[in-house]
Amino acid sequence: MSIQIRRCALAAHALALVVAAPALAHHSFAPYEPDRQIRLHGTVEKFTWQNPHVYIQLRGGEDGGEEQLWLIECANPGILNRVGWKFNLVKEGDEITVVVAPMRNGQPAALLKAIRTADGRVLSNGGPAGPATIPLDPEEVTDAGGQG
Amino acid sequence: MSRALRRSIGTLGVAVTLSWCAGAALAQTSSDAETQYGPRDIGGTWERYPTLAGLGSGNNDAPPRPQPQPDPPLKPEYYAEWRKAQDEAAAMTAAGRPPATNYTHCIGEGMPGMMMAMFPMEVLVTGDQVTVIQEAYNQVRRIYVGEEPPPPEDAEPRFAGHSGAHWEGDTLVVETTGIKEYVRYRNVPHSANMRIIERISLLPDRDYMQNEITVIDPEYLTEPWEWTWMYKRWPGYKMQEYICENNLWGSDEDGAATLTIDLDE
Repeated sequence: MSIQIRRCALAAHALALVVAAPALAHHSFAPYEPDRQIRLHGTVEKFTWQNPHVYIQLRGGEDGGEEQLWLIECANPGILNRVGWKFNLVKEGDEITVVVAPMRNGQPAALLKAIRTADGRVLSNGGPAGPATIPLDPEEVTDAGGQG
Repeated sequence: MSRALRRSIGTLGVAVTLSWCAGAALAQTSSDAETQYGPRDIGGTWERYPTLAGLGSGNNDAPPRPQPQPDPPLKPEYYAEWRKAQDEAAAMTAAGRPPATNYTHCIGEGMPGMMMAMFPMEVLVTGDQVTVIQEAYNQVRRIYVGEEPPPPEDAEPRFAGHSGAHWEGDTLVVETTGIKEYVRYRNVPHSANMRIIERISLLPDRDYMQNEITVIDPEYLTEPWEWTWMYKRWPGYKMQEYICENNLWGSDEDGAATLTIDLDE
């Protein structure tokens, strides 16, 4: 049911470190689509408020699309606290809507751009992740951009 | 003061002039009466400048951004290799497969990268010690005022190295030695003898701070590598914890950052 962590790749390559100037945060956002965003609606299966990234595991899909389990990557707790989140903002079982940039390689994982929580609050994923370019609701215009 | 440090001060010319000119503009509108901070009050919480909110954030008296950081003046034999690696990294990133970095593996950037203040930074001044805490990865460095750092041959390699400092007027001049060779800011190679000089000072209104950095490494560089980082004071900000406890990212066989989890249900 939930996503299982496989550490072997990390262990195998932990010493093969390439060091560069970190431009944004824990890792580059280049694995995610730079120009394509989608809207997902579904139920939260798990919410992990940890570093280096907060994650939402969402059972859902696009309007009229297939349901599946998505791994939604958020910024880290520090950035999210600075843009108005709280550690208990999202809970298991919550129905939420998100705008995300999906992974380029087709994996069911995505970078959060904006979220509408179960009680209707709209929040960004902080400045470095960039703003939502499509609305959370098809009939709305979103202003969720925010700063991290 | 060490000889290397004295030499380095002479090389700061243009960067110092430019940043002091920026400060001079502010001085016309600031005075001790208008700020609660003394000229050496570098303690407090800071964010990098320009901030994420943008240059000045609506404050017309905000200083200009620092000059763009130049590429490292590596010797030709090292520059070619570095340039090639940078180009390859850029190509991988453009293809959606950015190279994994130390950061990806939850390893802090160390010196000098941690002074970029990518995340908020706290400076504590306690007696003869200045402590810098970088929120990302809870990185800490300790600067001992009134001491010189150990010579490189006696300096246990560390991420933050070993730092001694002294005041020149209201500028804290910090010298750092003993940085691990694989701690490479911008992927720039360096020798065990690398020294980093920082000239840290408040701008006249004391709400902004500049850090004029000089990297000295004659084994790798044709001349000192110089740039300035700036910070904006963030009164009231409470630093947050950052323990990298749930890293789902690693690297694949090509060194590209990749999720290391099975997304199969």
